[in-house]
Amino acid sequence: MSPPAASSASIAEVHVEVPPPPGMRDPLEQLADGETRARRRYVLTDTGFDEVPKAFRKFYRRWGGESDVLEPNEVLCPVCKVVIRSSRELRVGDRVYCMPCMSRLVVVRGANGLEGRTVF
Amino acid sequence: MSDFLSAYSIQNWLESCPQGYLVDTEYGHRPGEREPELLLTNELLHEETLRATVQLVVGERCALAASSGLINAAPDEGSKRFLATQTVDEARHVEIFTQRLYDLGVAKAELESTIAAYANPNLVKFAEVLLEKVDRKDFVAGVVGQNIVLEGMAFSVFEMMHAMNADMNPKFAHTLTGTIADERRHVGFGENRIGALIRSEPERRPAIERMQKEMSYYMLATFADAFRNNAAADEFRRVERELTGGTHAARWQGVDLAQMEPEAMEEVLADTVLKEFKVRLGRIGLEYQTPVRP
Repeated sequence: MSPPAASSASIAEVHVEVPPPPGMRDPLEQLADGETRARRRYVLTDTGFDEVPKAFRKFYRRWGGESDVLEPNEVLCPVCKVVIRSSRELRVGDRVYCMPCMSRLVVVRGANGLEGRTVF
Repeated sequence: MSDFLSAYSIQNWLESCPQGYLVDTEYGHRPGEREPELLLTNELLHEETLRATVQLVVGERCALAASSGLINAAPDEGSKRFLATQTVDEARHVEIFTQRLYDLGVAKAELESTIAAYANPNLVKFAEVLLEKVDRKDFVAGVVGQNIVLEGMAFSVFEMMHAMNADMNPKFAHTLTGTIADERRHVGFGENRIGALIRSEPERRPAIERMQKEMSYYMLATFADAFRNNAAADEFRRVERELTGGTHAARWQGVDLAQMEPEAMEEVLADTVLKEFKVRLGRIGLEYQTPVRP
């Protein structure tokens, strides 16, 4: 019996394993239980969000309300309710920038998954 | 801090707003779009639409006076530049909502008398509380009143109006889309700039919290006047049913506004805005003060 295939990547998602250089480990790659794994990478496409300069539009999308399920590379800006998208999987402690409202956020774990918290 | 303030650039505003979501718009909506015929011909709906639009003009005139007045009170160049862009945003809002009054048939010579006739006295009081702080060049109180209380209210009101108009009145819904995008920047500036400043001036908190309580009361009183005993509400619903066969839905904050009584809509709007105030003020280190309910 052959082993199960590794998770297949969709068109919008490319999983890249990047081994750290010898002796180096990004602390953001460290999971709570000590396990480490590379972050998933995402290919971002324009979602029609037009409230920031063109070069940055793919990093944001409109929020669909409470029923909107965020991907592992997404976090909701609590200030302006726009979804911020990263080209890599987000983890607790990451810092992200919300260009539509110019808020600096740090990713924290909330009741419903990852959330952004403002940093002044 | 310098990086934070450098985001408030005219170039950033140009690329986001006039060269972004406002490209190819005409008074905020797509060229050629018109108000639905019924809003012009049905007397009850026409008057209610005029009344609602006048409140938007009054609110935006207040925001224009406040943002322009705060420029010279701002303690740094970044804030001055941001408030300059906000002043243009607010002037645009005044213009597009005034244009809507013209589109609804108000003659230019009758603009001021129409505004005086329909302006809600509680909304005028709300504006006076804020503008008194601006006149005293009180930057921190002015920005909290303008960019968190007034803009926070506008953000929710515009979103609710957008949900109600998205299917029935695309012209007005498109006009609101651009104003909602503007409000994102305005509330962001309010939280980020004051979140940093209030920590260095903790003695200011009680007076600012009292201002929030007073403005919140007049806001709730304005909502009460708008929703309670609203003679046009039944007519709006009758027309909606006639046009859509009762299938029209207007989802916002987990409810269907198209199926709700005006009093229930008032409750959803008031609760949403007050909850947002509480969360936003908490983030910048201010304690939300519960207003008296009118």
